[in-house]
Amino acid sequence: MEGEKAVVALFLQALVTGLLMGGVYAVYSSGFSLIFGVMNIVNIFHGELIMIGAFTTYWLFTLYHVDPFLTLPVSILSASLLGYAIQRLLINRVVEAPPMMSYLCTFGIHLILANLALLAWSADFRTVTTSYSGKGFSIGPITVPLARLATFTIAIVTTFAIYWFLEKNRHGKAIRAASQDKEMARLVGIDIRKVYALTFALGAGITGMAGGLISTYFVIYPQMGLPYTIIAFCVVVLGGMGYIPGALIGGLLLGIIQSLTATYLTSGLSVAITFILLFVILILKPQGIMGRGAVE
Amino acid sequence: MRGLKALLLMAMISCLLIPGLARGQAAKFRIGCALPLTGVFGRDGNLVKDAYAYWADTINAKGGITIKGRGYPVELLFFDDKSDQAESAKLVERLATFEKVDLILGGFGSDSVFAASAITEKYKYPMVSGGASSNKLFERGFKYYFSTLGKATEEVRGCVETAGILNPRPKTAAIIGSDVLFTSLAAEGYRSYLKNLNIEPVYFELFPLSLDDYNSLLFKVKQKNPDMLLVGSHLVVALKVMKALKEVDYMPKMVAFSYGPTVPDFIKSLGKDAEYVIAAAEWAPNLKYKDAVFGTARQLNEAYFKKYGRYPDYVEVASIGGALAEQWTVEKLGLVPPLKEGDRIRIMEELYKLDAMTVYGRIKFGPDGANVEHPPIAVQVQNGKLVTVFPKEAAEKPVWYPAKSWKERKQ
Repeated sequence: MEGEKAVVALFLQALVTGLLMGGVYAVYSSGFSLIFGVMNIVNIFHGELIMIGAFTTYWLFTLYHVDPFLTLPVSILSASLLGYAIQRLLINRVVEAPPMMSYLCTFGIHLILANLALLAWSADFRTVTTSYSGKGFSIGPITVPLARLATFTIAIVTTFAIYWFLEKNRHGKAIRAASQDKEMARLVGIDIRKVYALTFALGAGITGMAGGLISTYFVIYPQMGLPYTIIAFCVVVLGGMGYIPGALIGGLLLGIIQSLTATYLTSGLSVAITFILLFVILILKPQGIMGRGAVE
Repeated sequence: MRGLKALLLMAMISCLLIPGLARGQAAKFRIGCALPLTGVFGRDGNLVKDAYAYWADTINAKGGITIKGRGYPVELLFFDDKSDQAESAKLVERLATFEKVDLILGGFGSDSVFAASAITEKYKYPMVSGGASSNKLFERGFKYYFSTLGKATEEVRGCVETAGILNPRPKTAAIIGSDVLFTSLAAEGYRSYLKNLNIEPVYFELFPLSLDDYNSLLFKVKQKNPDMLLVGSHLVVALKVMKALKEVDYMPKMVAFSYGPTVPDFIKSLGKDAEYVIAAAEWAPNLKYKDAVFGTARQLNEAYFKKYGRYPDYVEVASIGGALAEQWTVEKLGLVPPLKEGDRIRIMEELYKLDAMTVYGRIKFGPDGANVEHPPIAVQVQNGKLVTVFPKEAAEKPVWYPAKSWKERKQ
């Protein structure tokens, strides 16, 4: 009987852990999906925006003792401004060029940002350790870490907020119009370049916020970006490229699959499963599991 | 006669133009090193860089490496291998063939040093490392690779034997570690030493370094509820494990790491959450080690703090020990720069005869190049500081055992 309880508890714990990790994946992948959906750009410096958000939180917490959750508006703003500036100065020049140009451009920016951060902040590993870091609560045998629960909640709220913004808001509608038919949007007076800049700033801002959130439980360092970009790419492919709710669905699915794999098989396989899933989805269902993503 | 004069003039001009031939230009030792200054081992690599720079500055302040009464300054060349072993091998080849440095110092990380030492072996450069200790480094029959650290499996002996002096003694242990050369061997080392103490390993898993989420793994460990958790780690893994242990609300009676907690960033990052953690080490400032260059271990510790605003990690002092070993051998042989292949062969031969007390401890290389005279120790974080807890004769304080659960700790 005790043994059965332990088996059930382990399964439920794996589900909860996966769900919460999925929330983390979703929150840092939604900006990636938005930028791809509207501009058709695979943003390779996406991970560096997470890093900027995380370091903003880290410095505000370390130097001024500001609570990490209160630093989120600043993380959003810093990543947003950076994203906006990069978009206006660089991405705009390649946005309508063949995809290879934007890959090269964003890859170059990834290298520049990572190395500038390295020069500014050195290769040290840093963590944000607050009085509530790592704390959580228990429901029976299940442990729920608070910071991850907060991230999970914010992931859901963010997904719905972006969805609402794109569906109901005037600027959001302009973004959707531009993503559906650029020429027609231009004809009805929408300034496409402004729309692109707005989209990039919005996507970068959400990503910066994700950086601030994860800094409370992950280790941060200047070269942390690329693995996050890779995971974001996998999540977005899984959920459907450019389909905003897909980032949430893809993130949750990936989190749960990884957690179950780590629990019942090995942690090594939980890393491999990400790429196996990417491979399978790209071959069998390139529009993502919901069938709503873009296929180029 | 005019032809002879012209020939002499040309020979003199050539001597001035060809680098290395002019005596003034070559009157220094150019010493190279490929290190992970960025990437996953970036922090660790920068520590080793600081250590070599500290050694070079100290030597240069005394006039350099002294050969027959004359001082030859040291010039260090650092290359960033980006925590990539192929890059490390490439850079060491560049140091040997293009830069033609006089000596090469060891980098950081067993994987990188494994690749780099194959190149130093090929070009007959003796390499003394203080930042790599995997057993496989010593099992290749190489003649030019030396290490001031003990072997990886040996290094964790202190951590496990700490359990032997506890009362009541732990009965069960879980072993986890990242699946790279040093940490996987450290995990194997834990397993073999547990046998000697009759402690049952109830869980064993190696995981990839790229693993993001440690919670699932540690929930499995939590369910086994072992008395000890032994981790094969570098700094980043140690930090991630501690963060995850708190998130899954689990603290075994004893947690030990093969590497990480001795790096100053560990306590700085985790604050009070670092308390009770035990770590393998090979040097501590309270040990009675000394040499003529750096004074006592305590003096080095304080001088290092004055320079860098932090105390040295044992890998840094092991690296200083390695540089000292090369320096003393060159001095003993009376070799002046630029060093030739024949000189480097003599250095290699002399290194096997070395038996010296240094600020890092005694250095004596065995036939496989490993330091055979260096006992492993264990340190524990107590009140925000690392204190030596094992072996008994070197212990500053008794071990804090059992560790308090997260809920019992005052925040």
